[in-house]
Amino acid sequence: MKAIQLKQVGGPEAMEVVELPVPQAKAKEAVVKLAASGVNFIDIYFREGRYKAPLPFVLGQEGAGVVSAVGTDVESVKVGDRVAWIGLLGSYGEYEAVPADRLVAIPQGVSDQQAAAAMLQGMTAHYLSHDTYPLKRGETALVHAAAGGVGLLLVQMAHNIGARVIATVSTEEKAKLAREAGADEVILYTQSDFEAETKRLTGGKGVDVVYDSVGKTTFDKGLNTLRLRGMMVLFGGSSGPVPPFDLIALSQKGSLYVTRPTLLNYTAAREELVARSSAVFSMIAAGKLKLRIEHRYPLAEAQQAHRDLEGRKTTGKLLLIP
Amino acid sequence: MKAIQVQRTGGPEVMELEEVPVRQPKPAEVVVKVAVAGVNSIDGYFRDGRYRTPLPFIPGQEGAGVVTAVGEQAKTVKVGDRVAWSGVFGSYAEFVVSSEEVLVPVPGPISDEEAAAAMVHGLTAHYLANDAHKLKAGETALVHAAAGGVGLLLVQMARAIGARVIGTVSSEEKAQLAREAGADAVIVFTQQDFEPEVKRLTDGKGVEVVYDGVGKATFEKNLNVMRQRGMLVIYGMSSGSILPMDPTKLLEKGSLYMARTTLAHFTATREELLARTSALFDMIAKGRLKLRIGKTYPLAEAPQAHRDMEARKMVGKLLLIP
Repeated sequence: MKAIQLKQVGGPEAMEVVELPVPQAKAKEAVVKLAASGVNFIDIYFREGRYKAPLPFVLGQEGAGVVSAVGTDVESVKVGDRVAWIGLLGSYGEYEAVPADRLVAIPQGVSDQQAAAAMLQGMTAHYLSHDTYPLKRGETALVHAAAGGVGLLLVQMAHNIGARVIATVSTEEKAKLAREAGADEVILYTQSDFEAETKRLTGGKGVDVVYDSVGKTTFDKGLNTLRLRGMMVLFGGSSGPVPPFDLIALSQKGSLYVTRPTLLNYTAAREELVARSSAVFSMIAAGKLKLRIEHRYPLAEAQQAHRDLEGRKTTGKLLLIP
Repeated sequence: MKAIQVQRTGGPEVMELEEVPVRQPKPAEVVVKVAVAGVNSIDGYFRDGRYRTPLPFIPGQEGAGVVTAVGEQAKTVKVGDRVAWSGVFGSYAEFVVSSEEVLVPVPGPISDEEAAAAMVHGLTAHYLANDAHKLKAGETALVHAAAGGVGLLLVQMARAIGARVIGTVSSEEKAQLAREAGADAVIVFTQQDFEPEVKRLTDGKGVEVVYDGVGKATFEKNLNVMRQRGMLVIYGMSSGSILPMDPTKLLEKGSLYMARTTLAHFTATREELLARTSALFDMIAKGRLKLRIGKTYPLAEAPQAHRDMEARKMVGKLLLIP
């Protein structure tokens, strides 16, 4: 089979198309023929070596497709089932062997491509808005990078809950997308200071929660936009990691909360993974959550997909189609 | 009136009993004859200069007494009312002048000693157990310094909610007190490392919440004794300031939450201050919260009270009687 392999860490050019044997299912695994593989920032972190895996390895952590073989101990899925998964390296390929307990069923009304596009970003938006800080009707959330992959989904979910959403974006084009997703207010951070603007929009009170995947350039100011006892949810660092900070800032700025969540801890139990993916798939099937699949690349063009994602010109989900 | 004055920062000896005039109340202020003043570790921080305030000053922030004069715009209290407070500077004195906003009524069954003893420690324990992290029946809480001023009250409140409490203390004598307050398990941290012990007591799962007023000495280990998505509430740093922290640690240890809280932010509105104090006084009046008064001193012996507090040998609240 064809796959995108990394023999050494580096730029997009470090990714090579290689020919590998189709994996065999171990006892508790299923082999899935991929219909689509999601492209995510975490793939770039692994490619660059910021996150480590033993070399060489096949990139990619998100996929959907059809079960083509199952191991001897597998009962939860059978050949022909449509399934999706996240969090296991190896989805940039034509086939992947996946532990059966990490697979979730794709219901009717959700396509393979939608499933691949929704697993990481959709479930991330879901745990952020429903569990990390369970948003309530009438609360206000500040969502950074609101036209980004997670951002557009998070804005929709927050809006559907009945929360007021203040969004930050970099361009007018992205502002339009954020508004279409349901943002009540959109701040072009390239033109106005989001701290001052958020304070103004909340009558000086501040927001209940900040969802921040930008990190280094937004964290400190974000703390200043929170109400008393508000929560900073730092779930990524696209501008670079947040440097160590003095905890006294949290008490001085109003007994604030900080959390640094990751999807893995919100899908750790099989029941939670199934419940969360079902909730997201239901939203998609019901038309309440619109995915924006912006680009589909042939597997061999993974390098270009990474360049486009890193260039920050994209606003929706990128998929590789094997 | 007689008052304790600090002319220069330093050890307990810098506190001297002096004769000073009672300040004239502003229109919305009232004069209170102090019946009892509470001694708190923060008083020591102001005395030794760790926290700054212009010199000379009268220490003390907590007390209870009777209103003796009111400004012309004061509406909520009248002469003769029994009141208590926290956060009013100058309480180590026969009289204190205060904004009426921060005074709360003391109900009949509550003595002046009880009211003064409960304001800082009792309100702190109350917001920790009910708001900073809303404890639920069946959850497990780790309470550091469980025989301390806040600790003994927090253990009782956590138990009243139905939570399981693991307390840490420095001596067998304090362990006994923590058990009497309702702690289900007590770790004498001078004899036993609390990290493996908490893990053992929770079957490796960790606790839902850590309440920490210790700070530096316990911080790193705290991160290892929480379950996934657990909450660390830091409400004091008696062992010193925690070094600046890399938020990535919260991710690595399981999508943890952290808050650095202070009482003022949990009594910021008049409604919340009144609701919290009346809940607290109600628990005391019904015998569901036992205050432990360690020792009362004449006002002139404030230096000895600070020596005793800082030697960490006293158990229970220290009070000054003007």
